[in-house]
Order: sequence, then structure tokens, then C-alpha cells
Amino acid sequence: MNRRITLPLALLAAAASMAAQDQVTVFRGARIWPGGAEPIDNGVLIVARGRVQSVGGPSTPIPDGAVVQDVSGRQITPGLIDAAWCHGAGANDGNEQGDEVTPQMKILDALDPQDRAFARARAAGVTTVQITPGNRNVIGGLGAVVKTFGETPQAMLLKDESCLRIAMGAEPSMGNRAIRGGNVDSIYYRRPTTRMGVVWEVRKAMYDAKEYMERTIQNGAPPPDPGKEVLVRVLKQQLTVCTTARSEQDIRTALRLAEEFGYHTVIDEAQEAHLVADELAAAKVWVMIGAPSADRIAGTGAADGAAPRWSTLGMLAHRGVPFVVTTGSNLAALELVREASFAVRFGLSPRDALDAITVRPASLLAVDGRVGRLAPGLDADFVLWSADPFDPTAVALTTYLNGLATHD
Amino acid sequence: MKALLLAALAAAFAPCAPAQDTLAVKAGKILTITGPVLDNGVVLIQNGRISKVGKAADVEIPWDAKVVDASDKTVLPTWVLAHSQGGMRGANEAMQNVPFIDIADAVDPASTFFEDCLRNGVGTVHVIPGNMTLLGGIGMVVRPFGRTVEDMAVRTKSGMKLSLQPQAGGRLQQIRKLRRALEEVREYMADFDRRKKEFEQEKQAGAIAADKEWTEEYDRQKKPVIDLLGKKLKGWLFVPSAAEVDEALRLAQQLDLAIVLGQNVQKAIADIARFKAPVVLDENFEFYELDDETQIEKKVCTARLLADAGVPFALSLAQNGPGAYPWWQLATCVRGGVDRRTALEALTVVPARMLALEDQLGAIAEGKLGNLQVLNGDPLQATSWVETVILEGNIVYERSKDPRLKYLFAEGPDSKKAAEPPKGDKDDRDGKAGKAAPGAGNEGR
Repeated sequence: MNRRITLPLALLAAAASMAAQDQVTVFRGARIWPGGAEPIDNGVLIVARGRVQSVGGPSTPIPDGAVVQDVSGRQITPGLIDAAWCHGAGANDGNEQGDEVTPQMKILDALDPQDRAFARARAAGVTTVQITPGNRNVIGGLGAVVKTFGETPQAMLLKDESCLRIAMGAEPSMGNRAIRGGNVDSIYYRRPTTRMGVVWEVRKAMYDAKEYMERTIQNGAPPPDPGKEVLVRVLKQQLTVCTTARSEQDIRTALRLAEEFGYHTVIDEAQEAHLVADELAAAKVWVMIGAPSADRIAGTGAADGAAPRWSTLGMLAHRGVPFVVTTGSNLAALELVREASFAVRFGLSPRDALDAITVRPASLLAVDGRVGRLAPGLDADFVLWSADPFDPTAVALTTYLNGLATHD
Repeated sequence: MKALLLAALAAAFAPCAPAQDTLAVKAGKILTITGPVLDNGVVLIQNGRISKVGKAADVEIPWDAKVVDASDKTVLPTWVLAHSQGGMRGANEAMQNVPFIDIADAVDPASTFFEDCLRNGVGTVHVIPGNMTLLGGIGMVVRPFGRTVEDMAVRTKSGMKLSLQPQAGGRLQQIRKLRRALEEVREYMADFDRRKKEFEQEKQAGAIAADKEWTEEYDRQKKPVIDLLGKKLKGWLFVPSAAEVDEALRLAQQLDLAIVLGQNVQKAIADIARFKAPVVLDENFEFYELDDETQIEKKVCTARLLADAGVPFALSLAQNGPGAYPWWQLATCVRGGVDRRTALEALTVVPARMLALEDQLGAIAEGKLGNLQVLNGDPLQATSWVETVILEGNIVYERSKDPRLKYLFAEGPDSKKAAEPPKGDKDDRDGKAGKAAPGAGNEGR
């Protein structure tokens, strides 16, 4: 039903974009946060053919024939990037429970461009998201970086197979039972049941992948195994792992495993990163902090027994641990910019907080050649805000994706 | 009975009794709420009440006054919550028809909720049984400070909780049950009065000895409902959705009601205006609504809809999540299109009026209670923190001494390494880190 209605709309939008292609549009008068740099007051942003042509101060030359929009008093930021976004695939489509180790699963195959969460994301100024399989499996599968607008997954795609999801902690073993008779291979007898078992599943998979890799080198082509192919790329440091690890214990385990097998990892949902900051800084590991708004004094304890602190983000910034702010796996998370405003409340500078949802996730996801900043040649993904984006009364007036207004 | 005792005790022993000293608060900015915003103002509090408010030049500070220097800060009245289930365990009895229970027996002064209230600038809380009930029991108004319930009491027997929340049996069943429960008490009263009248008649006729008196009193379990029916006790009626507004309007003709709205009332705003009274807004008043026809979602802000319809509303705070912060709720109103003044009133004068405490609370004006909060910024900004809370002239909270904030902002076990919060430019560091861990490097592809 909804598809029948929205598809023509999408086609219309596409037609409009064709018309807009040749037009040069100038946004003049706003405070422009280019991302990764100090804001420019009374700035000029010039957009053409879906890309940023130039960004600068009030004296930036304006090309002849350009359509000039006066946006004085407004603020412009790059389109926001959520490096851990738990929507976009059906509610039950994030975890393939046929096995607990499913490295070959691709979230892109479950991505639904009609998911209303994309419209919500655009309305909140979010233009790029990373979607990954969930945390129910020990090795969940491959993530993807997509724009929040497009008719098909392919049209939205910015980067396929952007990371491999691995989960530590209680979630992958939650609800699993020991085998007592019955069919051992049944999905109803999922293992593991403890943290030990979770870690062993990772180890076993990596040992198997190593063996597979060595056999490939020695004896030519073994029977093809897509899951192991993925893990081989991890072992060769061609694919980064995104490990969910909330408590100090789980973060240390995640770091240990990465060191043991020599792969690159990012720590996702690192709520107790403040207890492991030195180790994270030494290992030069990125961390993702999900939904800082959820951490409250009199609130409930976080998942996996983690005890978040409000100082965490400021401390990571101070110690030089690279981090991004995300909405993460918390379904009650606020819009990304609001989560970042909580980071500002907890002591991060506005500039740092904005970088943590624009330029830094772009660099973490290795899509910084396309998005994350407002710079010549990059995609014209940007947001026009009614006021300072970290002012909680501000709203995203218009979100532009490839130079096209996708939320107004 | 018990509540009366509590009230008496509260009056006698309250350590939060009005301060005897004079307190002078020098403020960079005073948001008086009912009057103009004053820059460089002074508030004088004597015997727990505000004795003077004005520009610094116009107010003489007594030489012996204790001075709170907030000359670079913003001073507001403390927030008033018109309806809350915080600070107790178990908001509802498992039985639905329990008009005789009293929240005073459940309030836990040691609850972190009250601690959080002060941290958030809340100075008055109406605690009342939850919404999963029928006739749910009696509420009380407290200040979130004190070691005992008696210390905390501002007003006992603030009203009775009634709820139209559909439970087992659904919406119509709940409406029927509430009508039936009220009718049963009416029948009981009629029967009681009839028997009393018969007694008097028989006494007059000589069938009963002349020295015998009628000693029977109303059933204690029913007495609160009798007070409710006689409009001696206010009812706080929870109206979960637009569908129950009609029944609530019918009940409002019979009882003295305060209306507590649930989330999905956006389709009955015009009917809600017919109460011609302020209402309590649900804590989730900004949400998405799906159009069944177009399948397009639209953001709804019920605060905006009520403001547009001219219905005064009081805001409530969530138990957890960002909705628990007054600044977030206020900003959400303004973001949704409510003007700033209406938003500020929704946590001050409107709830004060609903609690019939408007002569004491909700504004900085001479004669009101000396309940103030000092903020380091605007009350609608994420970066603002409550620095000091003053209740009836007593300083009851200071951020600089807040142990939980110290813990949450500590740097962990090696807190000696703790250093200044980040200061902005981190380009080098980010650049370095970026190179060392080349993103989700997928260079092989």
C-alpha cells in the first residue's frame, strides 16, 4: 500500500533532482559548521550537481546565475552520521538465529528503504547511517553504510560490508540453554550459555578461518566457504570488526581477542570506556558511545552490568581516545543531535560533539571522501537548523541529501 | 485520621521549618514567571517567605542577611510537579478499588527520586497513586527534602486518584466499573441516611430510649469516596486517551476533578477545552502518529495543540530517560511550537494552581514561599545546571557538594589523573588516531 504511494513520489523527487542538477544554489548568511573546523559566521555555502562547490565566509564569490537563498540567523551543519543505527531492517531481521556464528550474513539483504525510520532520520538531520546485524549472535555478520534516502538499497549504498559485527557480554548467550537430549542441531538449542562460551565461539571461528586461509595457500582452492572468507579478510586486516562490549570486563576481552588474532576492532556501546581509557588509547582503538542521554543518576543500571559515567566522553576526548557518538542499540535513544547535546551537557565542547556525529564517524567508516564535512567536492549532504543545533529548542528545518531537500 | 496526624506532626517538627534568618539572593537574572524578567536583581527571603523582589538598586540588603551570590546566574522559582508517582515503591495496589489507602504510607524520603528532584530544581511534588487502578487512593504534596514523610509534607489528602485506564475487560468495562463504584457508595450513603432518619423518627416516637444517640459513622473504607462525592475531596482523574474524554466530561459535572491526560489525546483537544480547567499533560507529549491512509508519519506535540486551543497545562516528568529533566520537557514544548512563557508556566504557576497552592508557589513575588533555584544558564538549555536550591529560605541543595555528581564526573579508579574537561581543538589528536586505526578499513575491496 505504502509502496504504491511513495514510489511515484520518489520518482517525482528524482525528476526534481534532474532539474536541480544544473542549478547552482547558494545558501548565504547562516553560521556554517563545516565539520572538523571552527564555525564560519555569516557563511556562504555553494552547492551544484549534488556536491559542495565551495564553503567560506561572507566574501566568498557567488557565481552568476546562481539561486541565492538567504538563510541569515540559521545554522548549517554537515548531514549527521550515525555510526551505529539499529533501524532500517525489520525488527526481527537483524539477527539470523540459525547459528550463532554467521559472518557471511549481510544486513544489506534485510535493508528496507521504505522503513519509516529513514524518514525520521532525515527529519532529524541524519543523512548517513551504518546498519549492522544485531548483538544476538556472537558473530552477527556484515554491516553497511547507507544514505538515508533512496528507492533501493543499492541506491542508498555508500559502502557495503563496512564492518563485521561481533558481540561480547551477556546478549549472545541470553536465553540459550544447555543441550538435554533432542536434536543437537536444532536452532532451539543455541549455544553458548556463558561469557566463556561466547569468547570460545569467536576463537573457534578465527582458528577455523586461519586453518582455511593456510589450506588455501598450501593446497589451492578448498571448498568455498563464504563465512570463512569474511573472517580471512578480518585476519588480514582488510575488514574492521565492530565489537559490542559494554562493561569493563567485556571491553578488555574485546581488546584481548583483537590482539590475539591481530585484527582491527572498534568498540561499540563502550559504556565503561572510562575504566579502560589508557588501554584504549594505547591500542589506538575507536570507541562508539551510544545514547548518552540514557545514563541517569537514579536510572536503572545499563546492560551487561555496566555503570556509565557522565565524565566518559570528556575523558575520552582528554585522553585522546578517538570516539563517535551514536544512537546505538538503545531503542529509546533520542535523535542523534540530541544525544550529542547531552554529550555537550556532560562536558564536551560543541565543536567536539559535532565532530563526533559528522567528520569523525565519516573517517571511522572510511567514507570521509564522500561525506562528513562541508568541503568542495564532497556530497552536498547538509542540514539547515533553526538555531544552534545543540540548543534543545532547535529543529532541523530542511535536510539536504546530494543537494536535494529530503525533509522540509 | 492518620493523614491528619501526619499534618499535625509536620507542622510541629518540620526541620525544613521556615528559616528564621534573612536570606538575600543576588541574581544576574530573575525569571519571576508572573512578572517581568529582572536583570541584576535581589530576592529577600524572611521567615521562609519572599519579602522583597526588585532591581539591586531598589532593594536594600539587611546587614545581617545571609547572602547567596548568584550575580552571574539565573534565579527562578523551583518547579512544581502536579502529578507524580516518584519516590515510592509500588504505585498501585493489586486491587483496583482502594480509595482508603494513602500515599503518605508509601513515600520513601530516602528515595533517589527526591534527591533527583532537588538536582533538577523541583521544589514541590504532588505524589499520588498510579494509573493502573480504579479508585486508587489518596495523594499528598511534598517538598523533596526531609528525613521523614512528616518533614516533607506540604499538604496531606491532596485528592483521590481515579483512573479510566482500560484494564482487564477493556475500556467500556473500566467506565462501567467506575460508575458502579461511585454508585455503590451513593447507595450506601442513601441507606445510611435512611437508617439514621428512621432512628431519629423512632426515637421521637418513643420506640428508642431518649438518651440513646446515633453512634454509627460512615464506613472508613468508603469515607474518602463520600468526601469525593461531596466535593470535599478533589479527584485526580486519569484519562488515558481521546476515547475516554467524553466519560471524563460527564464525571466532571458530578465531581471536583483535575484531569490527568494520557499520551494519545491529540484527537480530542476541542473536547478537553470543554473542561475549562488546566490539565496535566502526559510525560510523552511529542511523538509520531501514523496516518492509516497515507502511511506517512507525522510528529505530534500535544503541548502545542493544547496551547493553541487555549488549554492551560502542567508538565509531568518521566521516571527515567531525558523526559525526567525539566529543561528537556520545557525545550520540547518550545521545539513543538509552544511559546516560552507558556512552557515555563507549565512547571510553575499552572501546577501551583491545580494544587490550590498558587498563593504560595510558582512565582517569585512578595508573599510567596522562598522556594528558589539558581541555574548557571537559561532553564531551556542542555548546558544549564541547577547550582543551588532554596526551599522556604533554607539552602537544601548545592551542586558543588553533590556526591553523586562528583561520582558521575569522576574519572574512574585512577581519578588522580583527572584533568580539565576537553577544551575544543582536538585536530591533532583526531588526525593521529584516524591514521593509526584506519576506520572501518575495507581497503581490500
